[in-house]
Amino acid sequence: MNKGRLSPELKVGIVVLIGFIILFYMSVRIGKYGALGEKGYELKVYLENANGIDSKSPVLIAGVEVGRVISVRLENFKALVRIIVKEGVQVPADSTVAIKTQGVLGDKFLEIIPGKDKKMLSSGEIIKTVKTSPDFDEIFTQVSTAAKKFGDTIGEFQGLIGDKEKANIKNSIENIQAITGEFKEIIKENKQGINSVIANADDALKGLKKIVGDVEAGKGSLGMLIKDEKLYTDVKETMGALKNISKDIEEGKGSLGKLVKDDSLYNEARDTVKNLKDITDGIIKGEGTLGKLAKDESLYVETERAMKKLQKGAEGLTESTPITILGTIFSFIF
Amino acid sequence: MDDKKTAIKIVDLHKSFDSQKVLDGINLEIPHGEITVIIGKSGGGKSVLMKHLIGLLKPDRGEIWIDGQDITKLKEKELNEVRKKFGMLFQEAALFDSMNVLDNVAFPLREHTKLSEKEIVQLTEEKLRSVGLAGFGYKMPSELSGGMRKRVGLARALIMDPEIVLFDEPTSALDPIISLTILDLIKETQERFKKTYVVISHDILGMFRIAHRVAMLYNGKIIEYGTPRDVKKSEKEEVKEFLKATGIPGF
Amino acid sequence: MINLFGLERIFNPINGILRELGGMGLMFLNSILLAFRKPLKFNYIFKQMEFIGVKSLGVVVITGTFTGMVLALQSYYGFRKFGAEGLVGTTVALSMTRELGPVLTSLMVTGRAGSAMAAELGTMRVTEQIDALIVMALNPIKYLVTPRVIASFFMLPVLTIISDFVGIVGGWLVGVKLLGINEGAFINKMVKYVDLEDIYNGLVKAACFGIILSVVACYKGFHTTGGAEGVGRSTTESVVISSVSILVADYILTSLMF
Ligand SMILES: Nc1ncnc2c1ncn2[C@@H]1O[C@H](COP(=O)(O)OP(=O)(O)OP(=O)(O)O)[C@@H](O)[C@H]1O
Ligand SMILES: [Mg+2]
Repeated sequence: MNKGRLSPELKVGIVVLIGFIILFYMSVRIGKYGALGEKGYELKVYLENANGIDSKSPVLIAGVEVGRVISVRLENFKALVRIIVKEGVQVPADSTVAIKTQGVLGDKFLEIIPGKDKKMLSSGEIIKTVKTSPDFDEIFTQVSTAAKKFGDTIGEFQGLIGDKEKANIKNSIENIQAITGEFKEIIKENKQGINSVIANADDALKGLKKIVGDVEAGKGSLGMLIKDEKLYTDVKETMGALKNISKDIEEGKGSLGKLVKDDSLYNEARDTVKNLKDITDGIIKGEGTLGKLAKDESLYVETERAMKKLQKGAEGLTESTPITILGTIFSFIF
Repeated sequence: MDDKKTAIKIVDLHKSFDSQKVLDGINLEIPHGEITVIIGKSGGGKSVLMKHLIGLLKPDRGEIWIDGQDITKLKEKELNEVRKKFGMLFQEAALFDSMNVLDNVAFPLREHTKLSEKEIVQLTEEKLRSVGLAGFGYKMPSELSGGMRKRVGLARALIMDPEIVLFDEPTSALDPIISLTILDLIKETQERFKKTYVVISHDILGMFRIAHRVAMLYNGKIIEYGTPRDVKKSEKEEVKEFLKATGIPGF
Repeated sequence: MINLFGLERIFNPINGILRELGGMGLMFLNSILLAFRKPLKFNYIFKQMEFIGVKSLGVVVITGTFTGMVLALQSYYGFRKFGAEGLVGTTVALSMTRELGPVLTSLMVTGRAGSAMAAELGTMRVTEQIDALIVMALNPIKYLVTPRVIASFFMLPVLTIISDFVGIVGGWLVGVKLLGINEGAFINKMVKYVDLEDIYNGLVKAACFGIILSVVACYKGFHTTGGAEGVGRSTTESVVISSVSILVADYILTSLMF
């Protein structure tokens, strides 16, 4: 009856087997902790603010993924985060936990900064120390050094830039520093929720720092930078976005807005923006003079990227909606 | 007539499709262990009547009594018990396209008996031989002619030796010689097992050959019912006209 | 009177739709209940599994592979704009496992096997083969619908996981081999962002779609009237209704799952 062909049962069996092998293979490749019985132990941590941390958020030590968050829930007005750590990875009892941001999409993850204690945490124990505002001071040190360096760089162009511009720039930087100081105080009072802003600012500042560094090293291509219309628009847009934030803050909108209702701060912020704009305008006015200086392509690209990052950060601030992975992905594809 | 046991008793059966009245008060007693032939013009409702006998169609009104049960009132489950006593040959054979001839004929055996595969194949091949299709067991229905399909359907209807067999035009689509063979087959099996056969046919001549009783369906009613001899002598205009149309002297 | 007519015009189609929906629901329930009544004929189920699963394999593999390839290509051009080419693998894998694997597989099977089911049952209806079953005191739902529904329920997830896999392989081919995305980033990001639930939920979806397409096809085939033309109509309707229902169900399931 079968005329030597495979029976339907056999064929179905083969296909189902292929399906199971693939499913098994994919499960093993993807399955991490807990789900398919992979071994690990549980630790707990209480966070003041678990914003952005979700079940399955990765847990890293020194940048190496060692576990995942399994649940986040409220306990005594604090976020109780349960994490599962891979078998074989030991966490000293005096370790610190910090929330960090990673990647283009701004994903949050938990970083465990191992302590020095000989005693290791065992299953169910709590990691007690939490770095609420990761790299808080670091960032501000960076802000001031960056600003200083910027100032120094401008100083090197003393011969090219008139005294008036120089004074202008110096003024701005002083302003920035002053505001930074005030910011610091305010933020100390309102630590909550400011982390994301800091992180984004950090990115932008790092970019700026790089430019400044490059300019300092004498390989900058400021001419290109300045003559580029698009870049100018980018800068302007960035400024616009920053302005929007300020406006939102003024109206009490957004997470930052809710925090900062102080009029004086707002005014300060507006001044900063104005000052920043002044700097840009100054540079643009000096078009041509600087143009001769450099021919390096890379700086130009670098600067553009930095500006884009800054802009992204600014946009991220105005939009308080969480960006899901798929949402972002599909908005780019379709 | 009355001394005979009744196999099927139809009482005042009505059926309409939308506004078309097909059965308009059928009253008929089909005797046990005989061949009853139902004649009538095409589109007269013979197939519809037959489908009522086996519960494929539900009447608008009326009763059908089989073994002391009114099957029009039965639930599907009880009805299935009654159906197990039936065999039916459909007008278009209704073979299962997805099975070959042998599986088609063997199907009722496989589903309702616990016979071994060997016995089933043996019985089936025997049945196929009796309808003149020995060696065609492994053909698919689509590879058969209309007449051959009809004969496979016949073999399938008879394979379980059912108490009551319904034949919807067993000899249509067959040449005269095979027609006669099939009629003889029906008559022989009936005589051997003494089961109740109900046959629908246009083939007046052939039918009178095998019929113990003949019923004439006209305008949704049975207008004449009796032995072939009685019907032949009928005084009713419609019957006379119908019989005359066969064109054979003596009818 | 005029008002009444107007109402009727609205009510009749709604009435019809509700009736079909109810009929399909009943048929599904019936087919499942009958599956538990002995004897369950495994050879019928295997035959259908072969028809639905094995014979659809080719078309599912081809669609899956090309979908993965296209996804990789499209997302590459999107992600390149901001230097996130490494996410191409993630995109392909997530899209395949969550959505495109189950949905495209089900749509292909609807076109290939669902239409055939409707046509086959429709033909059986108009040539009285279903009546023949009834006459033999056999329940046509048990013999015709149950095996198809069960087979679809089990085979759709199998086809879907295969489709997921070949889609990811297709994406890998285009992304890594053709466009030169870093293989490590491609694989690692994919492994990192795709969860077991994405795969399993996709398979659950596929099983639901399997039920939908088989029940719709069987219902339409079963209730065919009007000869060969009617068979054609049933087939078309079953494909249209299945496809639309699958997409609607996909939305509902997605919103429940993710
Ligand atoms: N399912 C149905 N729906 C609507 N009308 C039907 C149905 N079945 C039969 N009819 C109608 O009932 C009438 C009788 O049909 P039936 O098949 O019983 O005729 P018949 O006597 O068997 O004719 P023939 O000798 O040609 O087979 C026909 O006019 C047909 O149109
Ligand atoms: Mg007929």
